[in-house]
Amino acid sequence: MALAYRLLHMLKPNQTEASTAELIAHWQEKPAPLLGLLHALHDRDGYLSDESLRAVSEGLPIPLADLYATVTFYHHFARTPPGQRAPRVCTGPICSQRGARDVLHALDDAREMPCAGRCDHPSPVLVGQQVFTAASDATLTPIPSPLPPINPSAYEECLFAHIRDAGRHTMAGYRASGGYRGLEKALQKTPGDLLALLEESRLAGRGGAGFPTGQKWRAVSEATGSPKFVVCNADEGEPGCFKDRALLDHDLHALIEGMILAAYATGATSGFIYLRYEYPETLDRLETALEEARSDGLLGRQIGGKDFHFDLCIRRGAGAYICGEEGSLLNSLEGKHPYPRNRPPFPVTHGFNDCPTAVNNVETLAAVGPIVARGAEWYRNLGLGENAGTKLISLSGDVRRPGNYEVPLGLPLQTLLNDWAGGPLPGRQIQAVTMAGLSGGFLAEKDLEVTLDDPSIRACGSFLGAGGIMVFDDRRDMVDVAAQAMHFFADESCGKCFPCRIGTQRLSERLSGTDGPSAWTDWQSEVEDIGSAMASTSACGLGVAAPHITQSLLKYFPSQIQRHLANQQDLP
Amino acid sequence: MIQKSTTLTIDGAEVAFTEGETLYEVAQRARRPIPTLCYDPRLEPFGSCRLCVVQVEGVRNPVASCTTPAAAGMVVHTSTEAIEHHRTTLLELVVSENRQVDVDPLRGYASQELTTLVDRYQARTGRFAGAQSGTSHSEDDNPFILRDYDLCISCNRCVRVCAEREGDYAIAAGGRGFQKQITTEFDSILKDSSCTFCGQCVQTCPTGALADKKALRAADIEEPIEKTRSVCPYCGVGCAVDLMTKGEQLVGIQPAMDGPANEGALCVKGQFAFDFVQHRDRLKQPLVRGVDGQLHETDWDTALDRAAEGFRQVADKHGRHAIYGVASGRTPSEADYCMQKFIRRGYGTHYIDNCSRA
Ligand SMILES: Cc1cc2nc3c(=O)[nH]c(=O)nc-3n(C[C@H](O)[C@H](O)[C@H](O)COP(=O)(O)O)c2cc1C
Ligand code: SF4
Ligand code: SF4
Ligand code: SF4
Ligand code: FES
Repeated sequence: MALAYRLLHMLKPNQTEASTAELIAHWQEKPAPLLGLLHALHDRDGYLSDESLRAVSEGLPIPLADLYATVTFYHHFARTPPGQRAPRVCTGPICSQRGARDVLHALDDAREMPCAGRCDHPSPVLVGQQVFTAASDATLTPIPSPLPPINPSAYEECLFAHIRDAGRHTMAGYRASGGYRGLEKALQKTPGDLLALLEESRLAGRGGAGFPTGQKWRAVSEATGSPKFVVCNADEGEPGCFKDRALLDHDLHALIEGMILAAYATGATSGFIYLRYEYPETLDRLETALEEARSDGLLGRQIGGKDFHFDLCIRRGAGAYICGEEGSLLNSLEGKHPYPRNRPPFPVTHGFNDCPTAVNNVETLAAVGPIVARGAEWYRNLGLGENAGTKLISLSGDVRRPGNYEVPLGLPLQTLLNDWAGGPLPGRQIQAVTMAGLSGGFLAEKDLEVTLDDPSIRACGSFLGAGGIMVFDDRRDMVDVAAQAMHFFADESCGKCFPCRIGTQRLSERLSGTDGPSAWTDWQSEVEDIGSAMASTSACGLGVAAPHITQSLLKYFPSQIQRHLANQQDLP
Repeated sequence: MIQKSTTLTIDGAEVAFTEGETLYEVAQRARRPIPTLCYDPRLEPFGSCRLCVVQVEGVRNPVASCTTPAAAGMVVHTSTEAIEHHRTTLLELVVSENRQVDVDPLRGYASQELTTLVDRYQARTGRFAGAQSGTSHSEDDNPFILRDYDLCISCNRCVRVCAEREGDYAIAAGGRGFQKQITTEFDSILKDSSCTFCGQCVQTCPTGALADKKALRAADIEEPIEKTRSVCPYCGVGCAVDLMTKGEQLVGIQPAMDGPANEGALCVKGQFAFDFVQHRDRLKQPLVRGVDGQLHETDWDTALDRAAEGFRQVADKHGRHAIYGVASGRTPSEADYCMQKFIRRGYGTHYIDNCSRA
């Protein structure tokens, strides 16, 4: 009880005393009002009452059943007290191995939350609008979002080149190290020049799918609908991924510059940053940066004295991994139930409000400024061999120096693990790593010899994705790790399509041993059939990727599975 | 506008299509038996069951044919060995999440869809045992709609028909993943929601999870169900219905999916209000009030004479405009015609109306 009391006093005061009617009147006039309005009410009361939802339903308007169902979709919207004031403890793959479950039990009213993007400094606890770091005795300290470690190599960085400079997150600091020079340069040229430059740079999406960015922006620029939009995907929900967090907290003008460039290239007039709920302090920093950009004339009307108008606003998610999937994100922005959309059509022609939209990851956007400033060739040459450019890797788990690293694409994984991050903990050996957070499953044994680029990793049946790599040493029970991973996917499956909705549940039951056959051949046949149906028929990337977990477990660790099955049979 | 027509190849046959058609629609015309569960031709394609996936050459993963627009030159395979295997797995998974698969056809028009497919793919294998999904709402004691969500497979057809066809938006899918659950505002019973009890969700449900409570009263009657096409007698819309009988008893009503006026829709009256047909209180003889103030059975001539006499007295005393005719919403057009003729010619007034005018 004492702890809960102390927590309450650590919270920032409620930001608003505005009435529901005033809040509705305010948000009604805004684009993408639903999430903003719900958060305003949630922040005010700590939960979403029936009365609030009835008023929102009438005010926006949105059918009450839809609104209610959509509110129940998000993790963090509470419907009853203590609601938002209840601490949320990260029980992601890394934190749960570092005492997060003890913290969960020690804090009053605490609830679990999936990976909150602080794997480089476990274990984060979200209380109201603040992120704390929990020690093993459950004392909470507010710790600022960690910076990437100093560049441990001789390779030149693109995204992290100046992130560690003092004051980089302010307009003055950003400009001091060459910020917004890319934008100035681009505004001297035509949007067509910018598109061509990006295509030449071979920059590809860093959010997971790796679609060529120049090609995406060209499609938006050539699409006939209007107005056009740029949406920054800052939902970063993949467990083990926290690289967007570093950019958002410490180099946020790079993101804003990238978004302005995207608007210039595509002809977009407004934009959104869709920020995950678990980064509350980032929200304040972003708001400040947007104000700075507005007062410098970088956002608004006639940017750079040209006939170029663009402004952007932030919308906060409410806790749903699937909202990082672009169709789901757009539905969430529009206030619809956040199921992924059927494709085609794609967002480049039918995105936000069915208008042409470029949806891009934070890292992708932040790379554009430096590319324009320094040239396509410079960027391409940052990669090794055939690979163009760099990739941020969030490295966590059982290595000496976890953190965000910017690697040249094509770098051997072993170089990152051993030379950059100091290798395994004393006396330990690396048993397996994950790829793409959890979505790429595990790599182990000889496949740890991959280089960090998609051709190499895909040849092992996985993919680089957003660049989250979690390391598990020889102490770890890989079946347990896999069970927790599948539990995450089952919890986060949106529930729209059958293979993923039922498949993640069944795989989760089989990995944790709560259901399913205990004979090895039956177990294997069920798990393989479910996995291949999911991978082949799921409606979006979540269901397609989730079976990487079971497929790679079967590939590298069949004896660990058999041991689990044998133990189950021994149980009374 | 002239619709551009082009061709694609389905299972080796070249098929013409019109722009805007989906692969599923084209395949149906080509008589390819693609299985579906979340598909209802009246609704926007949703793409949740994934049974309709087909292989398109040059595309890595199979695509859902119900949501994929046909494009010129596509080479499509609708039932490769791999795809049939995935379909069986998907159906085995669906069977594993439900209490039962066989349900009484009285439950609803589409209630046999899942059973039929499961049998076609021999998917009752007992594989994939695990938790069951969906929680039934036994506390919802409305007289019309059974909410037996233990049988629900989360296809969203009910939600979509309610929004897209009825415009009620009374139900929605709450929660997510395996915990997804069809719900109403604040998870209330239907009476406290914006449901109008039109029953369309019942009739599109492919599992019988939503069921016709009134029809189920006849579940224990042995005789087979017979369907007779008719037209709803209640209002001027003229919805086509199939009257379900067991032996001599009218046991339920289902909308005609091919009814030109309703395309499978009904309102609460046409769907559920049929008990009067065989009700023991139904009038079969005219009644007239005697000097004792009570109603007595009589013959038609006497009754009509009494009525005519009443009308005449009113007209004589108060003038022709004191008569006002209101035809029943349940009368067919021919009877409506007679009614207005009777009022106009018989009494010389234009005071004639019909209750379904609103
Ligand atoms: C389940 C799922 C979750 C995703 N989460 C994210 C995310 O958190 N951030 C992100 O940028 N992209 C995410 N993506 C990828 C987006 O759908 C989209 O491809 C990306 O934002 C496009 O930006 P890019 O081309 O710059 O990578 C996710 C995809 C899936 C299937
Ligand atoms: S794959 Fe999973 S997350 Fe994606 S649409 Fe299907 S149920 Fe939703
Ligand atoms: S109740 Fe029936 S129609 Fe509705 S989602 Fe469930 S199975 Fe589908
Ligand atoms: S009363 Fe209802 S069901 Fe009958 S015809 Fe009219 S609208 Fe259709
Ligand atoms: S009919 Fe296409 S996914 Fe269900």
